[in-house]
Amino acid sequence: MDQVARRIPLIDGIEKVTGRLRFTADRKLPGLAHSALLLSPRAHARIVSLDPGDALDLPGVIGLWWHANTPKNGYNSSIWYAGQSALADERMFPPVVRHIGDRVAVVLAETEDIARAALSRIAVTYEDLPSVLSAEAALDHAGPVTDADGPTYLNPVDEIAFAHGDLESAMARADHVAEVTVRTPRSHHCAIEPHVCLAWPEPGGRVAIHSPCQSVFAVQAVVAQALAIDPDRLHVTKAPIGGSFGGKAEPILDPICAFLALRSGRPVRMALNRQETFTSTRTRSAAYGRMRIALAADGRILGRDTEVLVDIGAYCTGGSYLPGSMLQRLVRLYAIPAERYRGRAVYTNTLPTGAFRGYGSPQIHAIGEIALDLALCDMGLDPVAARVRNIVAPAARDPWQNLPLGNARGADCLIQGAETFGWTGRRAERKANSRFRCGVGMAVATHINGCFPGEDEASTATLRLLPNGHAELVCALHDLGCGSDTSLAQIAAETVGLNASDIHVAAADTDTCAYDLGTRASRMTYIVGEAVRQAGIALAAAVAEQAALALNAQSNEIVLRCGRATANDRSITLAELAAWLSTRGTDLPAATYTHRATANPGSYAAHFAEVDVDTLTGQVRVTDYLAVHDVGRAINPMLVEGQIHGGIQIGIGYALYEDVAVDTGTGRVHADSFARYTVANAPEMPPVRVLLIEEGEPTGPFGAKAIGEIATIPVAPAVVNAVNHALGSRLTDLPLLPDRIVEAVVQIERQG
Amino acid sequence: MKRSSPVYFVAGGTDLLTSARQMPLVGTLVDLSGVHDLAFIESSGADIRIGGATTIAAIAAHTKLAARFSALSQAAGECGSMQIRNRATLGGNIANAAPAADLVTALILANARLKLFLPGGSCAEITLEEFRSGTGALIAEAVLPNLELLPRSAFAKLGLRRDLTIARINLAAMAEFSDGRFGSVRLVAGALGPHPIRLLRAEGALSGCPLAPASLRVFVDALAADVDAAIAGRASHCWKRRAIRGLGLDAIARLCEMSPRDPLFDETW
Repeated sequence: MDQVARRIPLIDGIEKVTGRLRFTADRKLPGLAHSALLLSPRAHARIVSLDPGDALDLPGVIGLWWHANTPKNGYNSSIWYAGQSALADERMFPPVVRHIGDRVAVVLAETEDIARAALSRIAVTYEDLPSVLSAEAALDHAGPVTDADGPTYLNPVDEIAFAHGDLESAMARADHVAEVTVRTPRSHHCAIEPHVCLAWPEPGGRVAIHSPCQSVFAVQAVVAQALAIDPDRLHVTKAPIGGSFGGKAEPILDPICAFLALRSGRPVRMALNRQETFTSTRTRSAAYGRMRIALAADGRILGRDTEVLVDIGAYCTGGSYLPGSMLQRLVRLYAIPAERYRGRAVYTNTLPTGAFRGYGSPQIHAIGEIALDLALCDMGLDPVAARVRNIVAPAARDPWQNLPLGNARGADCLIQGAETFGWTGRRAERKANSRFRCGVGMAVATHINGCFPGEDEASTATLRLLPNGHAELVCALHDLGCGSDTSLAQIAAETVGLNASDIHVAAADTDTCAYDLGTRASRMTYIVGEAVRQAGIALAAAVAEQAALALNAQSNEIVLRCGRATANDRSITLAELAAWLSTRGTDLPAATYTHRATANPGSYAAHFAEVDVDTLTGQVRVTDYLAVHDVGRAINPMLVEGQIHGGIQIGIGYALYEDVAVDTGTGRVHADSFARYTVANAPEMPPVRVLLIEEGEPTGPFGAKAIGEIATIPVAPAVVNAVNHALGSRLTDLPLLPDRIVEAVVQIERQG
Repeated sequence: MKRSSPVYFVAGGTDLLTSARQMPLVGTLVDLSGVHDLAFIESSGADIRIGGATTIAAIAAHTKLAARFSALSQAAGECGSMQIRNRATLGGNIANAAPAADLVTALILANARLKLFLPGGSCAEITLEEFRSGTGALIAEAVLPNLELLPRSAFAKLGLRRDLTIARINLAAMAEFSDGRFGSVRLVAGALGPHPIRLLRAEGALSGCPLAPASLRVFVDALAADVDAAIAGRASHCWKRRAIRGLGLDAIARLCEMSPRDPLFDETW
């Protein structure tokens, strides 16, 4: 093998660093019209009237649209195929706004400045309605808040309960039962590229949508639902993307942009500024979790009782899946004989939530891992040893879906990680009674590989030989900047004996690609990678068959390597082969393969963090970090490490700094700019070591499993556990802002 | 210039031009960043003089200034990010009048005076405390009177993270310090109110005392008392009254050219 397991740079890296890659906002189309959105200043209000004032008279204004003159179709921005059933509670412009930042109106104009100037001329009269601004408050009202509520906007949006084993007897037998509550904050993706979309009319009554998205087919399905038109009229292409992390998984601007293009007959650009991206797109939901853990004296977890409450914000989107997603990930980590789980998702009049790197996993593993650490601390048990005792073994099945977890190597992550980090010695030495306290902590996590057993978990890849001897990969691919195009090109190249740079990756296009779910659920390498590998094997066979004719050999004698077909001592380059085939009037070989998933193994990770806490100022520095990941096999170790480094940066922010902080009194978003929303910058990053466990997953391409989402999941609990170790505290409200740390330290000092 | 349209002076533009803020829709923007005579640091004379359009990076890098008044150099070195420091100016930091402005805390400590060009064409010299932004005056230079400077000074700040952060509190300290003993001490803290304030209790606690755990203990308690007097009842009070102890020790350690992790300071704690 010479392409897989190699540190190959991004195939689009040079285009990116030289600025040649054109992002959506860089595209200049002739006759382009620009738009600006009027956003609600009210948390929950009926729009009584909208007076355009002289907005329409401003030179350059093309039109103004709001709920009275736009389609009233309900839609759900989280669906990924046409006709998918989901609560369709969102509208392009609702008559009742449901959160600060909800969409009230849009102005289309010759320039964005004119469109924004026109917004200030519009006068809207609102009638305020009672608003629900916290998850706890949401539980208190079961019925509709307004006459417009029902069947949507009723709490809880979703509720799921699961019981396994005899929990009562586990609690009764336990040597210790710990009860811990954990709160995780609402967090924002902070992609460098704010949300943006282009749309223009195409012949035949069609409309083209060019958008940085995670699935062109999801965009097509959502826009078709919002506009109530045939999906075939929508031609969606994926634009290069400046970061997403789940923030662009749901089309937010696309329905409006397509509507404006159809209505005006012009190419239309919609672009949010940074503040609008904070207040009017999606966030990771805040969660509240209460866990009771029954422990035996030897560290075995006998039983666990978990209750989770998730604030999904003003629209359902995919929030109703969260209680189930959290349950799925929770029960795939430890082998626990008795488990009870209750998860509820509730609407509030706050900004909607959606996908963000892990879809429920960061929340549930933060809850579970912080709670377990405190329970173990109560008993004086070592966090690593106890986790080794409880973590699932290879080939285990989860108790909820009864799915095999594959070659689950969580124990290897723990054992090798503890050894590499020097866990035992570092955990023992803790300097007390000093202003600066050092502590070490760790956490484990698991995450999924794709959507199986979801029935549509499949991917179709086409590989075809090009006249220059390279190959084209056609598959609805959405590289979010993490390098999936590169690792899939490596897989393709490996199978047909080319270099990764010889694989031309076509951009996702609803007109030319087979249906695909897109980049979500950590499925690119494991699911799409296998489709590409199988298509590559089929293309290699087709190429070998033709090369056998050219070289007068048997096809099973042909070896494809370095762009050449060789049999015995005769050889031909693939470019020569393509030319030879053309002169004979033979089509160049191509192969298409549809891979349907048959498994959903777990990826596992153990993270180890060292922190330095200033007990006077409450400032925390993460001073050393080790991330150990069970990836099956790394297709590109450099990109795997890149994913992990980025995951740690996001996770440190989740643990220490980041909170969108919706005011529970007013519904106002406090952190709507980078001045107020604090992310971990380069100086906050510790030295990071990465250790990969490569034991191979039999169902994955070349043994590979997912890394994208799990990279960030154990970070926050590892950091929080390290802080609790440093201080002897029981901090469980994230993020650990200096104020919270100081409060905990003061309390500990008072207790003496 | 006619008074009918408002005039805005801009130098680095790091406050006025950033897209998060609403730009004034009418008026005249006068760019001062190319006015050579407004960008200078004169530290060889008795008083230190710094031009209003001097960049913060230039202030941070000026070694002679650092030798005479390191609190200002350090404040400049920790203000914003490198990109911001390369563009932002002394005059802008003063005129923007943010309660957490890092340079202003150090300038107040030095009892700085400002030379202004007034709208009518005349000049004026005022104290920094007397300055109010939005009057149309142009900040030509800041003067740090030699008589006000003590031999040693230092600056420290606390934000939500280490770099590129807006101070939740900042502190500038100036003192006579020799043979392990403090003489006169002056302390000014920012972000405890609309303008930086003197911390008189803490100054009194440290003046004339040795650098020793016992006197440092009295000093940090006095810092907390100064915070209590300034912001009691505010949401941030609980954190700030404790955090200022850490910040105070950081500033004193820096002033004495020691590490805040020196065992001496741990004994205080």
